[in-house]
Amino acid sequence: MWLKKRYLLRHGDEQFTAMVGSRAGNLTVQLDDGAQQEVDAQVVMNGRALSLRLGNRSHLVHLTGSDEPGRLEATAVGRFLDLLVVDELHAMVLDTDAEAGGGVLKAEIPGVVIDVLVSVGDTVQRGDPVVVVEAMKMQNELVAPVGGVVLEVLVEKGRSANAGDLLVVIEASQIRDR
Amino acid sequence: MDGEKKREFRKVLVANRGEIAVRVIQGVREAGMLSVAVFSDADRTALHVLAADEAVRIGPAPANESYLDIERVLAAARETGAEAVHPGYGFLAENADFARACEDAGLVFIGPTAESIELMGNKLAARRLMIDSGVPVIPGTSEAVTDPVAALAAAEEIGFPVLLKAAAGGGGKGMRVVREDDDLAGALRQTMGEAKSAFGDDAVFVERFIDEPKHIEVQVLGDGRGNVIHLFERECSVQRRHQKVIEESPSPSLDPMQREAICAAAVRTAEAVDYRGAGTVEFILAPDGEFFFLEMNTRLQVEHPITEMVVGVDLVRAQLEVARGNGIPWRQEDLSQRGWALEFRIYAEDPAKNFAPSIGRITALHAPTGPGVRLDTGVYEGCDVPIHYDPLLAKLVVWAEDRAAAIDRGRRALCECVLHGPGHNIPFHLWALEQPAFHDGGYSTNFIDENFDPADFIDPLPPEDREALLTAAALFEADRRLTVVRSPDPCGDCPEDRQKKRASNWRRSALREMTGRK
Repeated sequence: MWLKKRYLLRHGDEQFTAMVGSRAGNLTVQLDDGAQQEVDAQVVMNGRALSLRLGNRSHLVHLTGSDEPGRLEATAVGRFLDLLVVDELHAMVLDTDAEAGGGVLKAEIPGVVIDVLVSVGDTVQRGDPVVVVEAMKMQNELVAPVGGVVLEVLVEKGRSANAGDLLVVIEASQIRDR
Repeated sequence: MDGEKKREFRKVLVANRGEIAVRVIQGVREAGMLSVAVFSDADRTALHVLAADEAVRIGPAPANESYLDIERVLAAARETGAEAVHPGYGFLAENADFARACEDAGLVFIGPTAESIELMGNKLAARRLMIDSGVPVIPGTSEAVTDPVAALAAAEEIGFPVLLKAAAGGGGKGMRVVREDDDLAGALRQTMGEAKSAFGDDAVFVERFIDEPKHIEVQVLGDGRGNVIHLFERECSVQRRHQKVIEESPSPSLDPMQREAICAAAVRTAEAVDYRGAGTVEFILAPDGEFFFLEMNTRLQVEHPITEMVVGVDLVRAQLEVARGNGIPWRQEDLSQRGWALEFRIYAEDPAKNFAPSIGRITALHAPTGPGVRLDTGVYEGCDVPIHYDPLLAKLVVWAEDRAAAIDRGRRALCECVLHGPGHNIPFHLWALEQPAFHDGGYSTNFIDENFDPADFIDPLPPEDREALLTAAALFEADRRLTVVRSPDPCGDCPEDRQKKRASNWRRSALREMTGRK
């Protein structure tokens, strides 16, 4: 079975998505709306760099993580980039959070709810884990997009959720936690 | 005279840090001698300390309590039994008191005499000596003026535009360009007022202002017995706030006649002080081809490697030979320029942030290799760049048979560099190599001011590398979470719950980052 996972990448003001698929050591990648293609990726230089072959085109990309999670320095042929990488399930929460006063947690890709960590009436801080969803064989913790009081819990453990389904509604507290 | 005696030594203290200390230590070792490094508390694990045979702590991090403290440096020499001192550049290199203190302590100072340093450090005295020696100087008043009538008379004789310069000033402070006689009186009043408040002295000089100047300098080597040779010129017109960034040799702006004239002027300059050791005579080249003495640097220069590449010599070895009293190792007629060399100074300065200095640990470093490539470095992967000193990390020098090939090689070598951690100016160098003004060689010291825009460095992802960079970044992240790529587990063998906790913390921070909130 192919495991697929979508990543959101940010460089400066630009944002990109990369869908990474893997099965038994084979890799595919699809950038934004581009075509899916096979990638031959080898970790080289004692884990400091990736050698990629996209088709026969050979690339050497040096990658260094930093103390700031999700932040990478990537260098290839004179291009020095600071990138931020996050996987899509977490990126989804950002979208919700970006809506003013948004206290709604939605599923944006289908998955199975593994655990519900809050009940109606609970007070949560922004960033607290609320629901755990399994999608594409990965468990992902969805966190409260705002701090406040849980108004509605629309899912239960074991149920599947479709893209766009409301999961939890939180009433934002008057004074938002920063 | 000192130079006539043979003065053998076997152990050299290098009174410096960073790449130049490493360069000198390498030269000392090649000469079969022992090296002594000195270090401040910020530099215990700096590369020059790792490279030397012996290393002595000379004080806390601030330079004035360590690298600039003559007594502490001399004490380190006594403690280790060093017999000679190489000052590098910067710090105590052009401090006449230090040169004298070394000689008084019975140490060979690998450089000129204290008298030469003193004389060339005094701008007025140096200017008078150059006039006497027939070396062209920028036309201007030989005395400071404070009277508007005298200033106007001087300006008319010199010819507009003129530069008003505070006598006590320096580093570009207290200077004003005047293009017409009507503006002179007002400008003089302002400059004098500024000079009075900044330096406590309102005297100013009036001199010719040169638009679009080029910076040309000539490497010289003297034996201290009156013999001086030159090793041709370097052009250092790519400057930011009087700090050189890219240098090349030969200069693309000199024809053979000019080259001969400027090198001869440099030799006359050095002969005028019976110069001993390696030195550099700096000139301003005007667009009409006239050149004028600027100053003499009485030490090894940062950009000495491009001369070494083009002339095929080792200047540190030559310094050691002269200091031992063995004289100049080459004859002038045996020296010539071959091919072209470029030097790129790699500073921990971020061009996208208008060259703001950057510090911290170097988390990844990959040096370029291959034909015609030389990297003089003071850093290594995993070392910390301290805040206390010059931000120069390394110098990438390339040589090729002509200028176009040297530019191609420079671009190739810069593209091989990997430097993660502190911000740095490699993107600036790659940018400069694409500028028409650099390509045609006609650039002046205004090059950066006229062409540079920090916005060029907040670069959208280049289309040709976009796919690979994004794919690699996604795989790097996926590797930690999906193990799609086989590589050592970043968590090592830590228990699964700790891995989960890390992932969870990571997510929260990433979220905060992505939403731009705290």
